[in-house]
Amino acid sequence: MIEVENLSKTYSGFRAVQGISFHVKKGEIVGFLGPNGAGKSTTMKVLAGYLPPTDGKIRIAGFDVVTDSIEVRKRIGYMPENVPLYTDMRVNEFLRFRAELKKVTRRKIKDRVEAVKQLCSLKDVENKIIGTLSKGFRQRVGLADALVHDPDLLILDEPTIGLDPNQIRAVRDLIKDLGRKHTILLSTHILSEVELTCARVLVINRGKIEASDTPANLTKLVRGGGSIVLEVKAAGADVVSKIKALPDIEDVEILLPGEGEWTHAKIFAKPGIDVRENVYGVVRQANWPLRELSRVKATLEEAFVELTQD
Amino acid sequence: MAFWTLYKRELNGYFQSAVAYVVLFGSAIAQGIQFGFIVTAVTSENYKDQSILQIFFTWPLFWLLLLVQVPLITMRVFSEEFKLGTIEMLLTAPVREWDVVLAKFFGALSFFLILWLPIALDLTALQLFSNPAPPVYWSQIGLTALTITLLGGFYVSLGVFTSVLTKNQIIAAVLCFALVFAAFGVSLLRWIQHVDANLLAWVSYVSTPEHLQNAVLGIFDTRPIVFYVTVTAFILMLTKSILEGRRLQG
Repeated sequence: MIEVENLSKTYSGFRAVQGISFHVKKGEIVGFLGPNGAGKSTTMKVLAGYLPPTDGKIRIAGFDVVTDSIEVRKRIGYMPENVPLYTDMRVNEFLRFRAELKKVTRRKIKDRVEAVKQLCSLKDVENKIIGTLSKGFRQRVGLADALVHDPDLLILDEPTIGLDPNQIRAVRDLIKDLGRKHTILLSTHILSEVELTCARVLVINRGKIEASDTPANLTKLVRGGGSIVLEVKAAGADVVSKIKALPDIEDVEILLPGEGEWTHAKIFAKPGIDVRENVYGVVRQANWPLRELSRVKATLEEAFVELTQD
Repeated sequence: MAFWTLYKRELNGYFQSAVAYVVLFGSAIAQGIQFGFIVTAVTSENYKDQSILQIFFTWPLFWLLLLVQVPLITMRVFSEEFKLGTIEMLLTAPVREWDVVLAKFFGALSFFLILWLPIALDLTALQLFSNPAPPVYWSQIGLTALTITLLGGFYVSLGVFTSVLTKNQIIAAVLCFALVFAAFGVSLLRWIQHVDANLLAWVSYVSTPEHLQNAVLGIFDTRPIVFYVTVTAFILMLTKSILEGRRLQG
Protein backbone atom coordinates (compact mmCIF):
# COMPACT_ATOMS: atom_id res chain seq x y z
CA MET A 1 0.00 0.00 0.00
CA ILE A 2 2.77 2.43 0.95
CA GLU A 3 6.27 2.15 -0.51
CA VAL A 4 8.78 4.74 0.58
CA GLU A 5 12.25 4.72 -0.92
CA ASN A 6 14.95 7.06 0.30
CA LEU A 7 12.65 9.85 1.36
CA SER A 8 14.37 13.09 2.33
CA LYS A 9 12.84 16.39 3.29
CA THR A 10 14.84 19.52 3.93
CA TYR A 11 13.45 22.81 5.21
CA SER A 12 15.84 25.64 4.26
CA GLY A 13 18.93 23.71 5.18
CA PHE A 14 17.45 21.75 8.06
CA ARG A 15 17.25 18.06 7.20
CA ALA A 16 14.02 16.95 8.83
CA VAL A 17 13.98 13.53 7.19
CA GLN A 18 17.13 11.86 5.91
CA GLY A 19 16.79 9.13 3.33
CA ILE A 20 14.28 6.87 5.06
CA SER A 21 12.77 3.80 3.47
CA PHE A 22 9.87 1.69 4.67
CA HIS A 23 6.76 -0.02 3.45
CA VAL A 24 3.28 -0.66 4.78
CA LYS A 25 1.32 -3.61 3.48
CA LYS A 26 -2.38 -3.54 2.78
CA GLY A 27 -4.42 -4.18 5.92
CA GLU A 28 -1.60 -3.45 8.38
CA ILE A 29 -1.83 -1.09 11.30
CA VAL A 30 1.60 0.49 11.64
CA GLY A 31 2.67 2.84 14.41
CA PHE A 32 5.10 5.65 13.82
CA LEU A 33 6.98 6.32 17.03
CA GLY A 34 9.52 9.01 17.74
CA PRO A 35 10.43 11.93 19.97
CA ASN A 36 9.26 15.44 19.14
CA GLY A 37 11.03 16.82 16.11
CA ALA A 38 11.99 13.37 14.86
CA GLY A 39 10.30 13.83 11.50
CA LYS A 40 7.03 11.93 11.99
CA SER A 41 4.67 14.76 11.05
CA THR A 42 6.87 15.78 8.13
CA THR A 43 6.85 12.23 6.75
CA MET A 44 3.09 12.04 7.10
CA LYS A 45 2.58 15.39 5.39
CA VAL A 46 4.70 14.15 2.49
CA LEU A 47 2.70 10.92 2.26
CA ALA A 48 -0.57 12.86 2.36
CA GLY A 49 0.57 14.98 -0.58
CA TYR A 50 0.70 18.24 1.32
CA LEU A 51 4.48 18.70 1.16
CA PRO A 52 6.62 17.64 -1.78
CA PRO A 53 9.65 15.52 -0.88
CA THR A 54 13.12 16.93 -1.42
CA ASP A 55 14.26 13.52 -2.59
CA GLY A 56 13.04 9.96 -2.83
CA LYS A 57 10.26 7.96 -4.36
CA ILE A 58 6.95 7.38 -2.67
CA ARG A 59 4.17 5.25 -4.04
CA ILE A 60 0.78 4.87 -2.41
CA ALA A 61 -1.63 2.26 -3.81
CA GLY A 62 0.65 2.14 -6.84
CA PHE A 63 0.46 5.88 -7.57
CA ASP A 64 3.41 8.23 -7.24
CA VAL A 65 2.77 10.89 -4.62
CA VAL A 66 4.32 13.67 -6.70
CA THR A 67 3.17 12.94 -10.24
CA ASP A 68 -0.25 11.42 -9.43
CA SER A 69 -1.02 13.55 -6.41
CA ILE A 70 -4.77 13.81 -7.01
CA GLU A 71 -5.14 10.02 -7.39
CA VAL A 72 -3.21 9.49 -4.17
CA ARG A 73 -5.29 12.02 -2.27
CA LYS A 74 -8.51 10.31 -3.38
CA ARG A 75 -7.33 7.14 -1.66
CA ILE A 76 -6.08 8.63 1.60
CA GLY A 77 -7.93 9.79 4.68
CA TYR A 78 -5.56 12.18 6.41
CA MET A 79 -5.97 13.63 9.87
CA PRO A 80 -3.31 16.24 10.68
CA GLU A 81 -2.02 17.01 14.17
CA ASN A 82 -4.25 19.46 16.04
CA VAL A 83 -7.11 18.75 13.63
CA PRO A 84 -7.71 22.15 12.00
CA LEU A 85 -11.39 22.53 11.19
CA TYR A 86 -13.63 25.33 9.95
CA THR A 87 -15.00 26.55 13.25
CA ASP A 88 -17.89 28.44 11.69
CA MET A 89 -19.51 25.39 10.11
CA ARG A 90 -21.86 22.85 11.65
CA VAL A 91 -20.75 19.23 11.88
CA ASN A 92 -23.27 18.05 9.26
CA GLU A 93 -22.41 20.91 6.94
CA PHE A 94 -18.69 20.31 7.29
CA LEU A 95 -18.88 16.59 6.63
CA ARG A 96 -21.08 17.10 3.58
CA PHE A 97 -18.69 19.76 2.27
CA ARG A 98 -15.69 17.46 2.74
CA ALA A 99 -17.52 14.51 1.16
CA GLU A 100 -18.25 16.66 -1.91
CA LEU A 101 -14.64 17.81 -2.09
CA LYS A 102 -13.44 14.22 -1.92
CA LYS A 103 -15.58 13.33 -4.89
CA VAL A 104 -18.11 11.16 -3.08
CA THR A 105 -21.00 10.82 -5.55
CA ARG A 106 -24.14 12.83 -4.74
CA ARG A 107 -26.25 9.82 -4.08
CA LYS A 108 -23.79 8.34 -1.62
CA ILE A 109 -23.04 11.52 0.33
CA LYS A 110 -26.01 11.28 2.68
CA ASP A 111 -25.30 7.64 3.51
CA ARG A 112 -21.58 8.14 4.00
CA VAL A 113 -22.06 11.15 6.28
CA GLU A 114 -24.59 9.20 8.37
CA ALA A 115 -22.26 6.22 8.51
CA VAL A 116 -19.23 8.17 9.73
CA LYS A 117 -21.31 10.11 12.24
CA GLN A 118 -22.47 6.77 13.64
CA LEU A 119 -18.94 5.33 13.63
CA CYS A 120 -17.44 8.32 15.42
CA SER A 121 -20.39 8.85 17.79
CA LEU A 122 -21.23 12.29 16.47
CA LYS A 123 -25.02 11.92 16.25
CA ASP A 124 -25.58 14.02 19.36
CA VAL A 125 -23.58 16.96 18.05
CA GLU A 126 -24.45 16.77 14.36
CA ASN A 127 -26.03 20.22 14.30
CA LYS A 128 -23.62 21.97 16.57
CA ILE A 129 -21.17 24.56 15.34
CA ILE A 130 -17.68 23.10 15.34
CA GLY A 131 -16.28 26.10 17.21
CA THR A 132 -18.39 25.17 20.23
CA LEU A 133 -17.21 21.56 20.44
CA SER A 134 -14.71 20.22 22.95
CA LYS A 135 -11.34 18.87 21.83
CA GLY A 136 -12.52 15.29 22.05
CA PHE A 137 -15.43 15.93 19.73
CA ARG A 138 -13.30 17.94 17.30
CA GLN A 139 -10.90 15.03 17.12
CA ARG A 140 -13.82 12.79 16.26
CA VAL A 141 -15.00 15.18 13.59
CA GLY A 142 -11.49 15.09 12.15
CA LEU A 143 -11.58 11.31 12.14
CA ALA A 144 -15.05 11.32 10.56
CA ASP A 145 -13.71 13.63 7.88
CA ALA A 146 -10.80 11.28 7.20
CA LEU A 147 -13.25 8.38 6.82
CA VAL A 148 -16.07 10.04 4.90
CA HIS A 149 -14.90 8.93 1.46
CA ASP A 150 -14.11 5.39 2.66
CA PRO A 151 -10.41 5.53 1.80
CA ASP A 152 -8.19 2.46 1.63
CA LEU A 153 -5.50 4.15 3.67
CA LEU A 154 -5.76 6.22 6.83
CA ILE A 155 -2.90 8.46 7.89
CA LEU A 156 -3.47 9.73 11.41
CA ASP A 157 -1.04 12.18 13.00
CA GLU A 158 -1.31 11.90 16.79
CA PRO A 159 -4.99 10.95 16.80
CA THR A 160 -5.30 10.88 20.59
CA ILE A 161 -3.31 13.94 21.56
CA GLY A 162 -4.99 15.99 24.25
CA LEU A 163 -7.77 13.48 24.90
CA ASP A 164 -8.74 12.19 28.31
CA PRO A 165 -8.23 8.46 29.13
CA ASN A 166 -11.83 7.54 28.30
CA GLN A 167 -11.68 9.25 24.95
CA ILE A 168 -8.28 7.69 24.23
CA ARG A 169 -9.73 4.29 24.85
CA ALA A 170 -12.69 5.01 22.59
CA VAL A 171 -10.45 6.18 19.75
CA ARG A 172 -8.13 3.23 20.26
CA ASP A 173 -11.00 0.76 19.98
CA LEU A 174 -12.25 2.57 16.93
CA ILE A 175 -8.82 2.36 15.30
CA LYS A 176 -8.61 -1.35 16.01
CA ASP A 177 -12.02 -1.79 14.47
CA LEU A 178 -11.09 0.25 11.42
CA GLY A 179 -7.92 -1.82 11.04
CA ARG A 180 -10.04 -4.70 9.84
CA LYS A 181 -11.05 -2.86 6.70
CA HIS A 182 -8.47 -0.14 6.23
CA THR A 183 -4.69 0.14 6.20
CA ILE A 184 -3.64 2.52 8.95
CA LEU A 185 -0.48 4.47 9.60
CA LEU A 186 -0.62 6.41 12.84
CA SER A 187 1.90 8.42 14.77
CA THR A 188 1.83 8.77 18.51
CA HIS A 189 3.77 9.29 21.71
CA ILE A 190 1.47 7.06 23.69
CA LEU A 191 3.33 3.78 23.77
CA SER A 192 0.62 1.70 25.39
CA GLU A 193 -1.61 2.64 22.46
CA VAL A 194 1.00 1.32 20.04
CA GLU A 195 1.34 -1.93 21.92
CA LEU A 196 -2.41 -2.45 21.90
CA THR A 197 -3.24 -1.50 18.34
CA CYS A 198 -0.21 -1.81 16.07
CA ALA A 199 1.08 -4.92 14.38
CA ARG A 200 4.32 -3.16 13.57
CA VAL A 201 6.20 -0.14 14.84
CA LEU A 202 8.59 2.21 13.04
CA VAL A 203 10.82 4.10 15.43
CA ILE A 204 12.14 7.33 13.95
CA ASN A 205 14.70 9.61 15.51
CA ARG A 206 16.33 12.73 14.07
CA GLY A 207 15.05 12.00 10.61
CA LYS A 208 16.26 8.39 10.49
CA ILE A 209 14.49 5.10 11.13
CA GLU A 210 16.08 3.42 14.12
CA ALA A 211 13.99 0.25 14.14
CA SER A 212 11.10 -1.41 12.38
CA ASP A 213 9.55 -4.43 14.07
CA THR A 214 6.64 -5.76 16.09
CA PRO A 215 6.21 -4.22 19.56
CA ALA A 216 7.09 -7.58 21.14
CA ASN A 217 10.37 -7.85 19.24
CA LEU A 218 11.27 -4.27 20.01
CA THR A 219 10.91 -4.87 23.74
CA LYS A 220 13.26 -7.82 23.36
CA LEU A 221 15.87 -5.41 22.02
CA VAL A 222 15.98 -3.76 25.42
CA ARG A 223 18.67 -5.24 27.57
CA GLY A 224 17.74 -8.87 27.80
CA GLY A 225 14.13 -8.11 26.98
CA GLY A 226 13.56 -7.47 30.64
CA SER A 227 15.15 -8.49 33.92
CA ILE A 228 14.71 -10.68 36.98
CA VAL A 229 14.49 -9.20 40.41
CA LEU A 230 16.03 -11.22 43.23
CA GLU A 231 16.07 -10.44 46.95
CA VAL A 232 18.07 -12.78 49.19
CA LYS A 233 19.83 -12.65 52.55
CA ALA A 234 23.43 -12.88 51.38
CA ALA A 235 26.51 -10.80 50.68
CA GLY A 236 26.27 -8.75 47.50
CA ALA A 237 29.55 -9.90 46.05
CA ASP A 238 28.63 -13.54 46.72
CA VAL A 239 25.31 -13.16 44.92
CA VAL A 240 26.96 -11.50 41.92
CA SER A 241 29.65 -14.13 41.50
CA LYS A 242 27.36 -17.15 41.91
CA ILE A 243 24.67 -15.83 39.58
CA LYS A 244 27.15 -14.67 36.98
CA ALA A 245 28.55 -18.18 36.92
CA LEU A 246 25.26 -19.43 35.49
CA PRO A 247 24.94 -19.84 31.72
CA ASP A 248 23.04 -17.20 29.69
CA ILE A 249 23.54 -14.43 32.26
CA GLU A 250 24.61 -11.09 30.80
CA ASP A 251 24.82 -8.91 33.88
CA VAL A 252 23.93 -8.71 37.57
CA GLU A 253 23.27 -5.36 39.17
CA ILE A 254 22.95 -4.73 42.91
CA LEU A 255 20.16 -2.29 43.63
CA LEU A 256 20.96 0.06 46.43
CA PRO A 257 20.17 0.67 49.19
CA GLY A 258 20.02 -2.84 50.55
CA GLU A 259 17.98 -3.50 53.69
CA GLY A 260 20.33 -4.73 56.38
CA GLU A 261 21.60 -8.13 55.29
CA TRP A 262 19.27 -8.41 52.37
CA THR A 263 20.65 -7.99 48.86
CA HIS A 264 18.32 -6.67 46.16
CA ALA A 265 19.65 -7.61 42.71
CA LYS A 266 18.61 -7.21 39.10
CA ILE A 267 19.64 -10.01 36.77
CA PHE A 268 19.89 -9.49 33.00
CA ALA A 269 19.78 -12.64 30.95
CA LYS A 270 20.27 -13.20 27.22
CA PRO A 271 17.18 -12.13 25.21
CA GLY A 272 14.37 -14.64 25.23
CA ILE A 273 15.88 -16.95 27.83
CA ASP A 274 14.12 -17.53 31.15
CA VAL A 275 16.76 -18.14 33.80
CA ARG A 276 14.47 -18.10 36.83
CA GLU A 277 14.71 -21.86 37.37
CA ASN A 278 18.51 -21.79 37.35
CA VAL A 279 18.58 -18.79 39.66
CA TYR A 280 16.29 -20.58 42.09
CA GLY A 281 18.61 -23.58 41.88
CA VAL A 282 21.53 -21.38 42.98
CA VAL A 283 19.49 -19.88 45.81
CA ARG A 284 18.54 -23.36 47.11
CA GLN A 285 22.09 -24.68 46.84
CA ALA A 286 23.56 -21.70 48.70
CA ASN A 287 20.72 -21.86 51.21
CA TRP A 288 19.97 -18.17 51.00
CA PRO A 289 16.68 -17.03 52.58
CA LEU A 290 14.56 -15.81 49.65
CA ARG A 291 12.20 -12.84 49.77
CA GLU A 292 11.55 -12.08 46.10
CA LEU A 293 12.06 -13.73 42.73
CA SER A 294 10.09 -12.09 39.93
CA ARG A 295 10.33 -11.15 36.28
CA VAL A 296 10.11 -7.55 35.14
CA LYS A 297 9.19 -7.33 31.48
CA ALA A 298 10.76 -4.57 29.46
CA THR A 299 8.28 -2.00 28.29
CA LEU A 300 8.08 -0.39 24.92
CA GLU A 301 8.93 2.81 26.72
CA GLU A 302 12.32 1.41 27.67
CA ALA A 303 12.84 0.26 24.10
CA PHE A 304 11.86 3.70 22.85
CA VAL A 305 14.18 5.48 25.25
CA GLU A 306 17.07 3.16 24.41
CA LEU A 307 16.56 3.55 20.68
CA THR A 308 16.13 7.30 20.67
CA GLN A 309 18.55 8.52 23.26
CA ASP A 310 22.11 9.15 22.15
CA MET B 1 -16.82 19.99 -9.41
CA ALA B 2 -14.42 20.98 -6.68
CA PHE B 3 -14.55 24.62 -7.83
CA TRP B 4 -18.29 24.81 -7.31
CA THR B 5 -18.16 23.18 -3.86
CA LEU B 6 -15.40 25.54 -2.77
CA TYR B 7 -17.14 28.58 -4.27
CA LYS B 8 -20.35 27.85 -2.37
CA ARG B 9 -18.37 27.43 0.82
CA GLU B 10 -16.54 30.75 0.25
CA LEU B 11 -19.74 32.70 -0.31
CA ASN B 12 -21.41 31.11 2.71
CA GLY B 13 -18.30 31.77 4.72
CA TYR B 14 -18.66 35.50 4.08
CA PHE B 15 -22.12 35.50 5.56
CA GLN B 16 -20.83 33.73 8.67
CA SER B 17 -18.26 36.43 9.38
CA ALA B 18 -18.96 39.61 11.30
CA VAL B 19 -16.59 41.72 9.17
CA ALA B 20 -18.68 41.04 6.09
CA TYR B 21 -21.88 42.28 7.71
CA VAL B 22 -20.15 45.40 8.99
CA VAL B 23 -18.82 46.16 5.49
CA LEU B 24 -22.23 45.41 3.96
CA PHE B 25 -23.97 47.66 6.43
CA GLY B 26 -21.41 50.44 6.01
CA SER B 27 -21.58 50.21 2.22
CA ALA B 28 -25.37 50.31 2.16
CA ILE B 29 -25.42 53.38 4.39
CA ALA B 30 -22.66 55.14 2.43
CA GLN B 31 -24.32 54.44 -0.90
CA GLY B 32 -27.74 55.47 0.40
CA ILE B 33 -26.46 58.76 1.79
CA GLN B 34 -24.52 59.61 -1.36
CA PHE B 35 -27.47 58.70 -3.52
CA GLY B 36 -29.86 60.78 -1.46
CA PHE B 37 -27.49 63.74 -1.56
CA ILE B 38 -27.04 63.54 -5.32
CA VAL B 39 -30.76 63.27 -5.98
CA THR B 40 -31.50 66.27 -3.76
CA ALA B 41 -28.73 68.36 -5.32
CA VAL B 42 -29.80 67.50 -8.86
CA THR B 43 -33.50 68.20 -8.32
CA SER B 44 -32.99 71.44 -6.41
CA GLU B 45 -30.69 72.86 -9.07
CA ASN B 46 -32.71 71.38 -11.90
CA TYR B 47 -29.52 69.90 -13.27
CA LYS B 48 -30.15 68.02 -16.49
CA ASP B 49 -26.70 67.43 -18.00
CA GLN B 50 -25.98 64.08 -16.43
CA SER B 51 -28.03 61.18 -15.12
CA ILE B 52 -27.87 60.11 -11.49
CA LEU B 53 -26.05 56.99 -12.67
CA GLN B 54 -23.37 59.10 -14.30
CA ILE B 55 -22.89 61.35 -11.30
CA PHE B 56 -22.82 58.52 -8.78
CA PHE B 57 -20.14 56.49 -10.49
CA THR B 58 -17.83 59.39 -11.17
CA TRP B 59 -18.18 60.94 -7.74
CA PRO B 60 -14.89 60.80 -5.74
CA LEU B 61 -16.59 59.25 -2.72
CA PHE B 62 -17.51 56.24 -4.82
CA TRP B 63 -13.83 55.47 -5.25
CA LEU B 64 -13.12 55.99 -1.59
CA LEU B 65 -15.73 53.39 -0.70
CA LEU B 66 -14.46 50.95 -3.29
CA LEU B 67 -10.82 51.26 -2.25
CA VAL B 68 -11.72 50.63 1.37
CA GLN B 69 -14.09 47.72 0.71
CA VAL B 70 -11.70 45.57 -1.27
CA PRO B 71 -8.97 45.05 1.38
CA LEU B 72 -11.61 44.40 4.02
CA ILE B 73 -13.30 41.64 2.08
CA THR B 74 -10.20 39.98 0.69
CA MET B 75 -7.87 40.04 3.70
CA ARG B 76 -9.21 36.84 5.22
CA VAL B 77 -9.33 34.84 1.99
CA PHE B 78 -6.06 32.95 2.40
CA SER B 79 -4.59 34.50 5.55
CA GLU B 80 -7.23 32.97 7.78
CA GLU B 81 -6.68 29.52 6.32
CA PHE B 82 -2.94 29.77 6.90
CA LYS B 83 -3.45 30.97 10.45
CA LEU B 84 -5.96 28.29 11.41
CA GLY B 85 -4.06 25.56 9.57
CA THR B 86 -7.12 24.62 7.54
CA ILE B 87 -5.12 25.10 4.34
CA GLU B 88 -3.62 21.70 5.10
CA MET B 89 -7.07 20.08 5.16
CA LEU B 90 -7.89 21.85 1.92
CA LEU B 91 -4.77 20.86 0.03
CA THR B 92 -4.82 17.22 1.14
CA ALA B 93 -8.23 16.78 -0.41
CA PRO B 94 -8.19 15.80 -4.12
CA VAL B 95 -8.50 19.41 -5.36
CA ARG B 96 -6.15 21.40 -7.55
CA GLU B 97 -4.63 24.69 -6.44
CA TRP B 98 -6.37 26.38 -9.35
CA ASP B 99 -9.76 25.30 -8.02
CA VAL B 100 -8.91 26.84 -4.67
CA VAL B 101 -7.62 30.14 -6.10
CA LEU B 102 -10.52 30.57 -8.53
CA ALA B 103 -13.13 29.66 -5.92
CA LYS B 104 -11.72 32.19 -3.50
CA PHE B 105 -11.47 34.84 -6.19
CA PHE B 106 -15.01 34.38 -7.47
CA GLY B 107 -16.36 34.12 -3.95
CA ALA B 108 -14.78 37.47 -3.08
CA LEU B 109 -15.90 39.02 -6.37
CA SER B 110 -19.46 37.81 -5.81
CA PHE B 111 -19.51 39.37 -2.37
CA PHE B 112 -18.04 42.58 -3.78
CA LEU B 113 -20.92 42.74 -6.29
CA ILE B 114 -23.41 42.12 -3.50
CA LEU B 115 -21.94 45.14 -1.72
CA TRP B 116 -22.96 47.29 -4.69
CA LEU B 117 -26.56 46.02 -4.76
CA PRO B 118 -27.88 48.90 -2.63
CA ILE B 119 -27.16 51.47 -5.34
CA ALA B 120 -28.85 49.25 -7.93
CA LEU B 121 -31.89 49.08 -5.66
CA ASP B 122 -31.78 52.85 -5.09
CA LEU B 123 -31.70 53.57 -8.82
CA THR B 124 -34.52 51.09 -9.44
CA ALA B 125 -36.63 52.75 -6.75
CA LEU B 126 -35.94 56.16 -8.30
CA GLN B 127 -37.04 54.84 -11.67
CA LEU B 128 -40.22 53.32 -10.25
CA PHE B 129 -41.28 56.30 -8.17
CA SER B 130 -40.40 59.10 -10.57
CA ASN B 131 -43.21 60.77 -12.39
CA PRO B 132 -42.68 61.10 -15.29
CA ALA B 133 -40.21 58.21 -15.34
CA PRO B 134 -36.84 59.21 -16.77
CA PRO B 135 -35.66 57.38 -19.89
CA VAL B 136 -33.73 54.18 -19.24
CA TYR B 137 -30.50 53.81 -21.15
CA TRP B 138 -29.80 50.08 -20.96
CA SER B 139 -26.47 50.40 -22.73
CA GLN B 140 -25.23 52.75 -20.02
CA ILE B 141 -26.54 50.57 -17.22
CA GLY B 142 -25.21 47.39 -18.82
CA LEU B 143 -21.77 48.84 -19.52
CA THR B 144 -21.53 50.32 -16.03
CA ALA B 145 -22.37 46.96 -14.49
CA LEU B 146 -19.86 45.19 -16.74
CA THR B 147 -17.09 47.68 -15.97
CA ILE B 148 -17.74 47.56 -12.23
CA THR B 149 -17.49 43.76 -12.44
CA LEU B 150 -14.24 43.88 -14.40
CA LEU B 151 -12.52 46.52 -12.33
CA GLY B 152 -13.86 44.86 -9.21
CA GLY B 153 -12.27 41.65 -10.45
CA PHE B 154 -8.96 43.42 -10.93
CA TYR B 155 -8.90 44.95 -7.46
CA VAL B 156 -10.21 41.80 -5.80
CA SER B 157 -7.48 39.76 -7.50
CA LEU B 158 -4.92 42.12 -5.95
CA GLY B 159 -6.53 41.45 -2.58
CA VAL B 160 -6.47 37.68 -3.06
CA PHE B 161 -2.82 37.95 -4.07
CA THR B 162 -1.81 39.90 -0.95
CA SER B 163 -3.79 37.47 1.19
CA VAL B 164 -1.75 34.52 -0.03
CA LEU B 165 1.48 36.26 0.97
CA THR B 166 0.90 36.28 4.71
CA LYS B 167 -1.00 34.65 7.55
CA ASN B 168 -1.60 38.01 9.19
CA GLN B 169 -4.88 39.49 7.97
CA ILE B 170 -3.90 43.05 8.87
CA ILE B 171 -0.72 42.89 6.80
CA ALA B 172 -2.72 41.44 3.92
CA ALA B 173 -5.24 44.28 4.19
CA VAL B 174 -2.56 46.98 4.32
CA LEU B 175 -0.64 45.49 1.37
CA CYS B 176 -3.88 45.24 -0.56
CA PHE B 177 -4.74 48.84 0.15
CA ALA B 178 -1.28 49.92 -0.99
CA LEU B 179 -1.53 47.99 -4.27
CA VAL B 180 -5.10 49.02 -4.96
CA PHE B 181 -4.31 52.64 -4.24
CA ALA B 182 -1.24 52.46 -6.49
CA ALA B 183 -3.36 51.02 -9.30
CA PHE B 184 -5.96 53.70 -8.79
CA GLY B 185 -3.41 56.44 -8.14
CA VAL B 186 -1.97 56.19 -11.66
CA SER B 187 -5.11 57.94 -12.87
CA LEU B 188 -4.35 60.93 -10.67
CA LEU B 189 -1.45 61.82 -12.96
CA ARG B 190 -4.08 63.51 -15.10
CA TRP B 191 -4.39 66.21 -12.48
CA ILE B 192 -0.70 67.01 -12.44
CA GLN B 193 0.33 69.81 -14.77
CA HIS B 194 3.25 69.58 -17.17
CA VAL B 195 2.84 65.89 -17.69
CA ASP B 196 3.92 64.61 -21.07
CA ALA B 197 0.98 63.98 -23.39
CA ASN B 198 2.28 60.54 -24.37
CA LEU B 199 2.37 59.53 -20.76
CA LEU B 200 -1.21 60.71 -20.34
CA ALA B 201 -2.27 58.59 -23.30
CA TRP B 202 -0.61 55.58 -21.67
CA VAL B 203 -2.28 56.38 -18.37
CA SER B 204 -5.72 56.36 -19.92
CA TYR B 205 -5.19 52.70 -20.87
CA VAL B 206 -4.87 51.72 -17.25
CA SER B 207 -6.93 54.37 -15.51
CA THR B 208 -9.94 52.79 -13.84
CA PRO B 209 -11.83 56.07 -13.23
CA GLU B 210 -11.55 56.89 -16.93
CA HIS B 211 -12.82 53.47 -17.92
CA LEU B 212 -15.83 53.89 -15.70
CA GLN B 213 -16.43 57.42 -16.95
CA ASN B 214 -16.67 56.11 -20.49
CA ALA B 215 -18.89 53.24 -19.48
CA VAL B 216 -21.48 55.43 -17.73
CA LEU B 217 -21.69 57.48 -20.92
CA GLY B 218 -22.43 54.30 -22.83
CA ILE B 219 -19.15 54.24 -24.74
CA PHE B 220 -18.19 50.65 -25.50
CA ASP B 221 -14.44 50.15 -25.64
CA THR B 222 -12.82 46.71 -25.84
CA ARG B 223 -9.45 47.96 -24.61
CA PRO B 224 -10.41 48.16 -20.92
CA ILE B 225 -12.05 44.75 -21.16
CA VAL B 226 -8.86 43.20 -22.53
CA PHE B 227 -6.81 45.07 -19.93
CA TYR B 228 -8.86 43.87 -16.98
CA VAL B 229 -9.18 40.27 -18.11
CA THR B 230 -5.49 39.84 -18.85
CA VAL B 231 -4.22 41.63 -15.76
CA THR B 232 -6.63 39.77 -13.48
CA ALA B 233 -5.66 36.44 -15.03
CA PHE B 234 -1.98 37.28 -14.57
CA ILE B 235 -2.41 38.20 -10.91
CA LEU B 236 -4.38 35.01 -10.26
CA MET B 237 -1.64 32.93 -11.89
CA LEU B 238 0.87 34.65 -9.65
CA THR B 239 -1.34 33.84 -6.67
CA LYS B 240 -1.46 30.18 -7.63
CA SER B 241 2.33 30.07 -7.93
CA ILE B 242 2.78 31.66 -4.53
CA LEU B 243 0.36 29.14 -3.03
CA GLU B 244 2.39 26.28 -4.50
CA GLY B 245 5.57 27.93 -3.31
CA ARG B 246 4.30 28.20 0.25
CA ARG B 247 3.70 24.48 0.23
CA LEU B 248 7.19 23.84 -1.04
CA GLN B 249 8.55 25.75 1.93
CA GLY B 250 6.42 23.71 4.24
